Order: sequence, then structure tokens, then C-alpha cells
Amino acid sequence: MRYKILSVDDSKTVRIIIKKAFKLYDCDILEGGNGVEGLAIATKETPDLILLDVTMPVMDGVEMLTKLKSDPVLKSIPVIMLTAEGGKEHVLKIAKIGVRDYIVKPFKEDLLVQKVGRIIDLKPISDAPAKAKSIFDPATILVVEDKPAIFAQIKDGLKHTPWQVHGVTSTGEAIDFCGRNAVDLIMISLSLPEESAFTLFRVVRTNLKTKYTPVFGLVVKTEVATQQMAQQVGFTGIATKPIDITELESKIAKAMNLDTSLRYFKTEGDTLIMSLPEVCTPSVINEVAAYLKGKVAEAVDSGMNKAVFDLREVKRLDMNLIKMLLTAMQTCREVALLYSLVGNGSLMADCKGYEDTRNWQFHENIEEARQNFQKQTASA
Amino acid sequence: MTSIQEIPESVFQDNITRAVEEVFRTMLSLSATHEPMNTDEKKTCLSLGTSHVVSTVGFIGAINGLVYLYMNVNLASQCAAAMLGMTDEEIVEAGDEAVNDAIGELTNMTVGTFKNQLSEKGFSCKLTIPSIVRGNNFQIDSISSATRHTYRFKVAGQNLIADLLIKPASE
Repeated sequence: MRYKILSVDDSKTVRIIIKKAFKLYDCDILEGGNGVEGLAIATKETPDLILLDVTMPVMDGVEMLTKLKSDPVLKSIPVIMLTAEGGKEHVLKIAKIGVRDYIVKPFKEDLLVQKVGRIIDLKPISDAPAKAKSIFDPATILVVEDKPAIFAQIKDGLKHTPWQVHGVTSTGEAIDFCGRNAVDLIMISLSLPEESAFTLFRVVRTNLKTKYTPVFGLVVKTEVATQQMAQQVGFTGIATKPIDITELESKIAKAMNLDTSLRYFKTEGDTLIMSLPEVCTPSVINEVAAYLKGKVAEAVDSGMNKAVFDLREVKRLDMNLIKMLLTAMQTCREVALLYSLVGNGSLMADCKGYEDTRNWQFHENIEEARQNFQKQTASA
Repeated sequence: MTSIQEIPESVFQDNITRAVEEVFRTMLSLSATHEPMNTDEKKTCLSLGTSHVVSTVGFIGAINGLVYLYMNVNLASQCAAAMLGMTDEEIVEAGDEAVNDAIGELTNMTVGTFKNQLSEKGFSCKLTIPSIVRGNNFQIDSISSATRHTYRFKVAGQNLIADLLIKPASE
């Protein structure tokens, strides 16, 4: 939902400054040049918040506020006074009528945005091209860790990804970095001195720019109490030390809501190819299973009629993998998609040991599997 | 409560200096520095030889007064551009109306900050709306019952004059 903020000020300059201050946020700025115009717009548009000046011609801000608060429909609209009238007596008089905040001019745009952000859930306008959408898109990850070896391990472990991993050692540097860059994910060491990880987390969450950025806590596996504390305050996830890079990469992709299907699914001509990695952990199998029906439906919808399950990299067969492959075969049958298996010698031998898999036929490579489709089609 | 006659001149000077410095720093990211004047300079600084923009905002209540800010048109355009986040070319294109509005608001904030300090000292008063005078050959005089204090500031190497006309509240 796009928020509506009504700015009522006789100065066009102030209204321009307000528009400029909010241009990076998902909101519309409505404008009124005095209290009469302000009330008319408020009645017509029912804004989510009003920024109100005091000294204006025709109808001043105090009169407009009084009328607003006596209107049953409009009285609940939060009002922030934005005025050069800052005498204590004056502020108290206006506060009694009912305002959510009071900003005395001159004002910094940042302060204005911050105060408005406390009342309405302002979101930055999504900068779609800069945001990571798939695992092959660039993203910026900030690691706040005072132990260089841990940072080096993360950076090195993720170097095969298109993600830029930046490291800082203190909360001050982290705040500075977030102020200057669009950060897609932040990892904070929970062992930073004086619980500063939690202080930084609060700063990150109150800053409009990073309010929705996923934040991971980095903590030793055995420090369960710290992990629980981080989860309670709202950390998006926990990455435990020693770092398991495969697991971390998967968690990052999930937290950034990235499309990871391209890791496992691709198309070649009229064939959908599903390739499984060397180690099929339960999380990998769940991930593939989650994409399976959608990818098969997508393939059929675009005119494909063949699928190859490429298992040449797979080192070990287990029941989870077998169940997932049986589901994949069933899914293909349901939509009349021909399928073939491609595997390695060790996997073929493993298959002989299970009732469900002993009759599976494998090809040595994808080309051979595709040729087999041609034979099947010709014989049919 | 202290009467207006008992307020030392230094209070007006400190208050207007703080107000000008704060408004220019916050809204324009420009530094304004108070530059003391001798008696002769005080007499001549309000004689305008070049095209000027003079903006005024008043305050009414336990203390009444008007504050005029004098600046040449170049400084006025520069301040308006900084306030609105525009380039020099854009502010020329926007015209005098945009400059007047920006300088009016700048004066409103300056006088607001000035009079809020007086309010804290017990002189509660309210602001009036701003007005602007443009020209190159005029003089603003005060009535005899008003006390006049004139201060000069340097902003971006140019003069900004703050002229205060203060009067006690009517009995």
C-alpha cells in the first residue's frame, strides 16, 4: 500500500523540501497551502499522516488542527507539527489539542523522515534492478566480525557466487557502510564486545534503509542461549561457527528470497533437465521438491515433452532422494512428459539394492538419453 | 518579568547570531559568521546601492518586533538554490517567485528561532507571515518608539544584514 502524506504549509519551499525528503520512499505527498485547503484535501483523500505548519494565511495550523480533531472521520489521522513556532507555551497549547510529534524549523530532512517513519511503516521504493532476484544476480553482503579468520572463511567460501562480501570490524563502521551502500544482507558476530551486536541490530531495524534487510547472527554452535536471544529480538537467521559454507549459502539465498531453481533446472531444446548435486542433503532435496511441480508445469506450458533427471554427480542414494525421484517421475507421468535417467556406475549399482529402484534404466549422458527419446517416439 | 528595556543588547545579538548560524547551517549547509560593525558601518550598511532582496517576519505578543534580512540578489539566489536543492541554472529558470518564497521561509525560520529564545525568557509571542521587498534604491525607517539593532553576517563571502526593530507590547 502506498501511504499518503499531506503537507500543509504556506511556503512552497517547505513543500518542495518535504517532497524531496520522501522521494525515495513508497508514499505520495499531497499539498495544501493553508488550513482550508488542508482540511479539504484531508476530507477527500484521508491521508495517513499530516505535516502541519502553524503560521499560515486564511486558516492557520491551530485552527485546522482543532477542526480536524473535532471531525469523527479525520480525528484519528496522526499529525506532526512542522513549524518555526517553538515557544514552550505554544507547543503545550498545541500538544493539548492532540499531535503525534512536533518538529521545530529549521529541520534536517533525515529527522523528518525518521519521525514520520515512527508513525507509518515507510518503505524505500524498490530499486528492482539493484536487488538480487536469482542466485546469478549480484548482491552486497556485509559481515560485521572482529575476527579476520571468520571473515576470510566466509568471503573465500562465497567467492564462487556473484555476491560482493564486505567486512567491517565494528558497529560504527557497519552503520557508516549501510549509510553509503545498498546492502542486501548483514551478518553480525554475536560475540562483538559489550553486546554491541544487539545494539547494531536495533539501529539496523530503526533505519528506514535497512529496516527490511535480512540480518544473520554469527555465533558458535554451542552458544545456545545467545542464539535464542538473537531469535527472540528478531534476527532473520543464525549462522553457526564453524561455518558450513553450503548451508550458509542456502540460508542466504532463502533469506534474500532468491530464485535458486536455476541451480537444478534448465532447458535444452524440447527437454527439461533436472541436475542434482554431488551431496543431496535434506535441504537440497526439499529445495528441488519445492520447485519440481512448477518447473514441470512451466516446461509443458512452453511446449516441451521430455525431461532428463541428470544424477551423474550424485555420490550416494538414500530414501529421501529415492522418494523425491519417484515424485518427479509421477509428476512427469501426470502431464504425459517422457523422462529418462542419467547416472554414474556407482549410483546404478546402489539402485540394484532397493525394491523401488532396481528396475530403473540409466543412460550415460544427456545426449544418449535424448536419442532414446527419439527411438521411443519413433517406435510409438 | 524583565521589561524589554532591561534586556541587554548582547541578548539580542546572541539570539540573532545563534538563529542565523543555525538556520543557514541546517537548511543550506552554509556557515554564517557574525562580523561586528563600527558606528559608521552601521549607518551605511542599510543604504542599498545594488539590487537587493529584503525579507521580513514580525512577532507579536509580550514583545513586538520586526526582523529584516537584507541580501543582494546573487546571495538570495544562491541561498534559494541551496535550500531547494537546485542548480544555479534551475533557480534562474524557476524565477523570482521561487527565490522570494525560499528567502521568506528562510527568514521565517530565522525569526522563529530568534523569538523562540525570547519566549523561553518569558516574552511569549507569535510569528507573522513573511513579506518580501525587492529593489536597489530604498530605505526602511523605524518609528521613534522602536529600538533598532543591526548586525552583519558573512555568508559565502557576501553580506547578510539582520535589522531588528523591537517594541514593547502595548499597554
